[in-house]
Amino acid sequence: MDQPPLTSSEPPSTTTTPPPPIAVPASPEQAPQQSPSQPQPQQPPSTTATSTSSSLSQPPSPLNPNPSPKPPNSPISPQSSQPQPQNPILRTPFNRPWAPNPSPFSHFSSIPNHSTAPSSSSITHSPRPGGMAIGVPAPHPTTSFSSLTPPSFSTTNPQVRQSISGMMGSLGSGSSLRPSGVAASLPQRPLQSSLRSPTGANNQSTAPQNFQEHGHPRLPSVGSPGAPAPTTLQSPQSHNQPWLSSGSQGKPPLPPSFRPPMNPQLMQQRPHLPPSQQPAMSASTQQPQTSSSLQSQPSSLAQQPQDHYSLPPSRVPQTLTHQQQMARNRGLGNQRPFTPSMGPPSSVAPPAAVEPTESCNRIISKRSIQEIVAQIDPTERLDPEVEDILIDVADEFVESVTTFACSLAKHRKSNTLESKDILLHLEKNWNMSLPGFGGDEIKCYKKPFGNDVHRERLAAIKRSIAAAAETPNTKSSGGQVGGGAKAHPVKAPGLVIGSPNPKAREAT
Amino acid sequence: MNNASAGPSSKSETSLKRKRGVFQKDLQHMMYGFGDDPNPLPETVALMEDIVVEYVTDMVHKAQDIASKRGKLLTEDFLFLIRKDLPKLNRCTELLSMNEELKQARKAFDVDEEKLAQGD
Repeated sequence: MDQPPLTSSEPPSTTTTPPPPIAVPASPEQAPQQSPSQPQPQQPPSTTATSTSSSLSQPPSPLNPNPSPKPPNSPISPQSSQPQPQNPILRTPFNRPWAPNPSPFSHFSSIPNHSTAPSSSSITHSPRPGGMAIGVPAPHPTTSFSSLTPPSFSTTNPQVRQSISGMMGSLGSGSSLRPSGVAASLPQRPLQSSLRSPTGANNQSTAPQNFQEHGHPRLPSVGSPGAPAPTTLQSPQSHNQPWLSSGSQGKPPLPPSFRPPMNPQLMQQRPHLPPSQQPAMSASTQQPQTSSSLQSQPSSLAQQPQDHYSLPPSRVPQTLTHQQQMARNRGLGNQRPFTPSMGPPSSVAPPAAVEPTESCNRIISKRSIQEIVAQIDPTERLDPEVEDILIDVADEFVESVTTFACSLAKHRKSNTLESKDILLHLEKNWNMSLPGFGGDEIKCYKKPFGNDVHRERLAAIKRSIAAAAETPNTKSSGGQVGGGAKAHPVKAPGLVIGSPNPKAREAT
Repeated sequence: MNNASAGPSSKSETSLKRKRGVFQKDLQHMMYGFGDDPNPLPETVALMEDIVVEYVTDMVHKAQDIASKRGKLLTEDFLFLIRKDLPKLNRCTELLSMNEELKQARKAFDVDEEKLAQGD
């Protein structure tokens, strides 16, 4: 995946100081902060892309659940992502970038450079949105990002920022989402989540405005999810807190216009993220899986935009410009703002049922699952894994029903899928009758079809039983009759079992 | 099956055209009795009617399946189908017994009238 290695390295650097985009200075600073998780990001950004990419890859991978939003940058991210799928701790560096607001972004911008090409304004590469997405809100698009990405980024690399902002925006248009996104990092992407959390924190700090309004309320929620994910997200937890406080620090450099659109999305995504975080936390152990899935993600670039939706909002933006992402996120609706890590990984390394197109968005979101459960029992709570499974079940159900209904429509020699196709399939195979869509026809009753042979046999049985009943009556009274009567009824059942011929013989 | 008697459809086994609004008036009152607005939405009434017609159709088909062995469709077939639903079953048996009582009362009434007429 693209999980832009750049982002990983950048966040650490950016957080430390708002220095110019070059990630080099930042990384060393961040390294100590995140040291455990990201030894690599600490490497001076100048280090060849590989080195940085490696460091970046770690953080970016978690950040970019969606396949590198920016294919061009992917070269770097894939490298980094692969070697270090498991650096959840790397995420912490992201926290830093967010906090300072303006500076962090510069770091990010630098980070992408590192991964892509050190020193040079490689930022334009737009670090693989994966890692970078954390918080490099592009100046333009993501509203939330705007706040997050400090203006400095704009100067460095618009692309980078976009990716970062996109990621940031996707992460949680508003710092609020970040923490959740990071923490949630879906089980498959524990790395990403960890990255997210720091970025989220950073985002919050960077986009104080957004956070203040949306972030604060969300922060608490976000923070909590982070806590549960101790394994990989340890760093994020701490980071979450910092950004919580730093949220109000700076003013988001991004134009406010971006924020509004993002906020609603983020807000919606937020609730989903927290639950997702937990599963992500637990999935930390699945890092190897996620890393592989993450890697595969870059290949599914096309899915990225879709994946964004599935992955925590922060990660989504990675791809193309934030604007596009934002549009997509919004377009997808907050219905799937939260596709638990299962979404992207499933799409990337789809199990048999999941298809690549599905990765980007799930049919239903965790929020909807919770609402449905609330309808059944307001006090009931489901485990995060259960919610993930239910989301998968819903996806597979819709897919299987639609597929079969399409084949029925084709059988009807029609190119249009109509309601009657779906109704027929559900009624016959799922025993689900849906009143209100049936149309004007009344179902005809089909008389039970009976074979001629079968009917003859039934008639023979009836005859033999009748004959057996009659014979005792005709016989003289006495024990014999009783015995005969008993004997005949006994024989009758035997006749039934036997073939018609034997029955006929016995009857006579 | 003959199509001519069936309905608009050309195929023999095709379903008959369903007339909408068969239970509209009665359903509105029943819905009001169960708590709905005195004037429920037409779409709601239409949906309820769909549900009712589907339920009745399904039940009749099942009863016919049971009774095909016997050849004749009897009331007991329907009672057999709702045997698991006690409230419904009890209500049905109550209505059937009331029906019988009314029949007898009418018969007795007619007989009485005749007697009166003869007596007079």
